[in-house]
Amino acid sequence: MTVKKITSDSGKDVTISIEDRFDFSLHQLFRDSYADSTASGSKFTLDLSKTSYMDSSALGMILLLKDHAEKISGSVTISKPSEPVAKILEIAQFNRLLKIEK
Amino acid sequence: MASALERRYKLALVVDDSVMQCKVLSVLLKEEGYRVFTANDGARGVEMYIKYQPDLVLMDINMPVMDGYEAARQIKALSKHTLAPLIFITSIDTDQAFIDSIEAGGDGILVRPFSPEVFKAKIKSIQRISDLYIQVKSLQQAQQKDAELAEQLMSGVIESRNFALDRIGIVKKAAELFSGDIQLTAQCPNGDVNVLLGDFTGHGLRSSIGAIPLAETFRVMTRKGFSLFEIISQFNSQLYDLLPSDLFLAATFISVSSQDSTAYIFNAGLPDTYIYSDEGEVSHKLGSSHPPLGVLESLLPGSQLRVVYIKDSDRILTLSDGIIEARNADGEMYGIERFEQAAELGFRNGAVTDTIVADLESFCEGTLQEDDISLIDIPCNGWEPSLSVAHSTVASVSDVEFQEIKQTGASWSWKLVLIGDKLAKVNPIPMAMSYLHEIEGNSEQWQNLYTILTELFINALDHGVLGLSSDLKKEAEGFALYFQEREERLKQLAVGSVEIMLNFVRAEAGDEVVIEVKDSGNGFDFEKVQEKLQETSELSLSGRGIQLVSKLCNGLYYKDKGTHVIAKYAVN
Repeated sequence: MTVKKITSDSGKDVTISIEDRFDFSLHQLFRDSYADSTASGSKFTLDLSKTSYMDSSALGMILLLKDHAEKISGSVTISKPSEPVAKILEIAQFNRLLKIEK
Repeated sequence: MASALERRYKLALVVDDSVMQCKVLSVLLKEEGYRVFTANDGARGVEMYIKYQPDLVLMDINMPVMDGYEAARQIKALSKHTLAPLIFITSIDTDQAFIDSIEAGGDGILVRPFSPEVFKAKIKSIQRISDLYIQVKSLQQAQQKDAELAEQLMSGVIESRNFALDRIGIVKKAAELFSGDIQLTAQCPNGDVNVLLGDFTGHGLRSSIGAIPLAETFRVMTRKGFSLFEIISQFNSQLYDLLPSDLFLAATFISVSSQDSTAYIFNAGLPDTYIYSDEGEVSHKLGSSHPPLGVLESLLPGSQLRVVYIKDSDRILTLSDGIIEARNADGEMYGIERFEQAAELGFRNGAVTDTIVADLESFCEGTLQEDDISLIDIPCNGWEPSLSVAHSTVASVSDVEFQEIKQTGASWSWKLVLIGDKLAKVNPIPMAMSYLHEIEGNSEQWQNLYTILTELFINALDHGVLGLSSDLKKEAEGFALYFQEREERLKQLAVGSVEIMLNFVRAEAGDEVVIEVKDSGNGFDFEKVQEKLQETSELSLSGRGIQLVSKLCNGLYYKDKGTHVIAKYAVN
């Protein structure tokens, strides 16, 4: 269960990937991963290809990231969600809130 | 014997086979304000411990009958939930003695010889830790009590006031003391039933706190006759305002009208809702069509309820994700397939919720429940207005001159004209009902008036202003089409009007409410409707609204080619 973060040289492309379970226990780690990325217009990519499971608090955390991105005129894209995660995103209709790249 | 938490003075137990040593330690402890008991071997020490429940134990190591290590082990086993510090007092100054002391459960070791000052300092330091422990313990107990009370209040406010618990099967298993799932049922003024199953983000107190204001909103709006969609919009904005961004409500709203053979369903972020036919087969699966509530400031444009034609023998089953995601000891999820199989079996043996719960329990076999589990099973029959009033005569429909109201004079009247796009946005029924309640007080029979008002207004809007033909609704397939078409036409509505008037007439023969509804449409052949009403046995999908109204009224009249309807309702 890890949160990995890769920032481009410009500091504006931030990729956060979550391995294994994405749930409440990652709350602090996840928040820390983006809190100091405050460059205006930052593009956050949330890589969920290696996420095996996600609960409703993880959906809440994604919304917090979206809030953060909007505050700095940035954007959030969810990238390649694994099958179980895609199912949860679909039930929550998150495709209508942010961009999801299959 | 008072427990250590309650008594004001401290008790110490000294266990040493040397009477001399016992005396010395007793004197020092008394100087520190302790009352002291002594024992001269380990076994006796354990007995004294059980009898007096002391706050502090001083233990020698080498003693007859039972040595200090064994006595310490027994005492620690007895005091799992309290911290009675135990200190070994010994003259064995080896590493091994120190290690063994701690392994046996000792909280410290003091090696002779030591000065009285060192002894007292040691006692003070150990006492400080145990005081802290007691403090934490009592805070924890107070918190537990508060939490239990809060839970009691919460479930009192939320679930105990639910409607028709004898007919609707509700299962709720909370993962913690507080459940993040919420289940509400309430009766609409026209006898329809509104049901809500909601799942807040996470679980525990943090997630259940939002449930209290919602429960009230749900009940009040349902009682006042607001439409399900209006209730959902209100929920969304209330949650958006009240809750932080990462807290929201995934929910399914269901309204069942047996009278209209219709179910309205809105699923925002929960697993599919099922409609089962009486053969136990799934006739509809209604998936989530909107993000959970409280995420967006207002509902997404174009959001609408799913309208489904139902039969009396159908049942609606809705659930939260806690069931699907429940795991067994191998970490395997219960899953949709197992759930559907159990549900089908349950429908066949007539015990839907019980069968599912039993199957789930045998699958999980006592593994710790991670999330709240919710399930609601709603029968589709019997949700209709109570026709207990005496107006059973079928009124004749004719174009009479309607001068008498104006002559008698109304004791009060209320009128609202809705024009153009306001017709699509404003629901006048709750307003009319609210005036009625304000002026005439609460009464069961206003439920009938609600039904009359609703039917007449919907007729004026749908058939009059929107020009929809009820022929569409004659067949089950046309049913959904009808509502789709209605939605489309409402969106484009720019002209047209509906006028609603309530007159409350006081008369010696009995009070009367006269309802008038006028629309800007082209009218209809009301004589044909009259013929239809004679054939009371007819059970078509259309025209039943007006049949019901005529049963409730003691006079129903059409004027101006059917664009103006007057209904008289006798107040009991």
